[in-house]
Amino acid sequence: MANKKIDKKNISKLLKKWSQEFSVFVPSLENNEAIMAEWDGKDISFLDWYRNTVKPPKANFLPLMEKLFSFKKRKGNYQIEVPPADKSKQLIFGIRPCDARALTILDMTFTDAYEDPYYLARRRNTVLVGMTCTDPYDSCFCTSLEGSPSDAANVDLMLTDIGDSFLMEAVTDKGKKLIASASELKDATSADESKATEVKDAAASKITRKIDARDIDKKLLASFDDKDYWEKVAAKCISCGICTFLCPTCYCFDINDEMVKNQGARFRNWDSCAFPVYTKMPMENPREEKWHRIRQKVCHKYEFYPMNFGVIACTGCGRCIRLCPVNWDITQALNSLPVKV
Amino acid sequence: MEQKLRDEAKALLEQGKVDYIIGFEPGSLKFTTTPLITSNPDDIDRLVINPFIVNNLSKFLIEIEGRVGIVAKGCDSRSIVSLIQDNKVNRDKVIILGVPCPGMISLNKVELLAGKSRDEIDDITRDGGKIVITVDGKKKDFPVTEVLYDNCLGCELPTPQEYDVLLGEDSALVTDRAASRKKIEELEAMSPEQRWNFWKEEFSRCIRCYACRNVCPACFCERCFVEEAEPRWISPVPQWQDNLLFQTVRNIHVAGRCTDCGGCERVCPANIPLRALTREMYDIVDDLFHYQAGTDKDASPLLTAYELVETEDTFR
Repeated sequence: MANKKIDKKNISKLLKKWSQEFSVFVPSLENNEAIMAEWDGKDISFLDWYRNTVKPPKANFLPLMEKLFSFKKRKGNYQIEVPPADKSKQLIFGIRPCDARALTILDMTFTDAYEDPYYLARRRNTVLVGMTCTDPYDSCFCTSLEGSPSDAANVDLMLTDIGDSFLMEAVTDKGKKLIASASELKDATSADESKATEVKDAAASKITRKIDARDIDKKLLASFDDKDYWEKVAAKCISCGICTFLCPTCYCFDINDEMVKNQGARFRNWDSCAFPVYTKMPMENPREEKWHRIRQKVCHKYEFYPMNFGVIACTGCGRCIRLCPVNWDITQALNSLPVKV
Repeated sequence: MEQKLRDEAKALLEQGKVDYIIGFEPGSLKFTTTPLITSNPDDIDRLVINPFIVNNLSKFLIEIEGRVGIVAKGCDSRSIVSLIQDNKVNRDKVIILGVPCPGMISLNKVELLAGKSRDEIDDITRDGGKIVITVDGKKKDFPVTEVLYDNCLGCELPTPQEYDVLLGEDSALVTDRAASRKKIEELEAMSPEQRWNFWKEEFSRCIRCYACRNVCPACFCERCFVEEAEPRWISPVPQWQDNLLFQTVRNIHVAGRCTDCGGCERVCPANIPLRALTREMYDIVDDLFHYQAGTDKDASPLLTAYELVETEDTFR
């Protein structure tokens, strides 16, 4: 099927059409902070300012907190009520390739030993409309991690800004279905296609931050016990949760029961390996020191995840670098590992 | 000032007067700095002083063992004094390299004025009372008060009062107390119900990353109440009520210790105006107790001191 294109001025019409079937999420400003929020049916000004969100779209699948089930205590027994599976269909408009790739990476965890019904229901009911990242940040380094600002591999439909319109490439059947019934589209010309190629190449060339990801798992394994190195890189970390909470591939969560009198609910909420309390046990804490925790974070992404799933659990979105209160930079840590292989 | 800092810092390390120097070096992103914690004299030439040395480095004194030479702006030096008052820092083991602070530049404010993100801005320079922002080769200037952090605009002591070496003389800070308290005034004009709804909305966005607590030098508890399991004071589930309770109790704990360095608000990834709570508390502490945090290292910390004339029985 030939690619399509849509005039930017018709984006509203298209979103309106999609809104009939889906909850449409678009980049929005909340208190001057970019997030994915449900479209208000009007505003498409994000087309002018949107680069990427602060909170990654993983929050649409693994929310900051969610109720897993509620319970009631009756005569020593618990009555459990599981909420019906989330059937609402959502469409995320404008997701960046790094964040879409992150979802593919998260899928591996949530389908591994146990199929997580909460996460997977949302994944199945979601359509991802990606957008080529024409304006990457100086903290971005996706091109070092098999990604690119125009990587369409993990979305259903990919849009690329070619001036007054977007080129639309349907990647999956879901994506094809999205555009099959849309009347606002035109067929893309070969001039449009070459313009898109130009835009994509230009976007990729804007990414100057690099890491050498080859054999990074082996380098980390060999550097694992170098306490001096890890202590040095960890020194300025303040052990907050920003880098992990706002990471599109970090999925650690905590389970908590909230109970008042005889009833309550079980919640799942984000947790972070940066917190000392994360590994605190009655007698000891295996990651008491800051360097233990920094090492864990880096190795989980670049050594353990490749070991378990054959893929690095980092997409180079750069949030951890640009949102860190002390500018702790993972690319510097990775590029200065003491052991070269 | 920068050269003087490097000379002093290098001498301190080489003469063995300190084990570590804590200062700032250029960050990995434009217009950022990052803490430099080092015992290696060769690293010292990386030290910088510029309008982006935002972090309150005194936080690191709590965890670093040994003698330390530390770069401190006005508010940071007050935090050091406050830590000395709380016996968290030994004055004899710290050499304070004081920076008379001209105010720190808020990149958020610059971005709003320039209509561009940080990395799309070519240059930000300060020229006396003006700030010059260059975008796409075009220069535009603004009064410096439009880009300084709100807490800097309300700063009373930009030049460190407690120091071993003062790296310059005039702080050149231009303040604007009204602008610094703008958010507080807005909140005070609200009805209690409006105010409640305001904070409800703000704390609904909190992701409980604890960055506000972890950057704060006044938050030095080895075990924070939020992580206590028995009794459990607040839920680990980041519901807005618990988020609000966390911040409220934190604010009470830092009363008389908070020097309004603005760190909590600056690092908040949800842009919650936390200073509206902490600065209000700072002013209440001043009004009620005539107490300014971190201005007298021999004074008892506000929350641990009591006098026989206290009117509340609880404290007698």
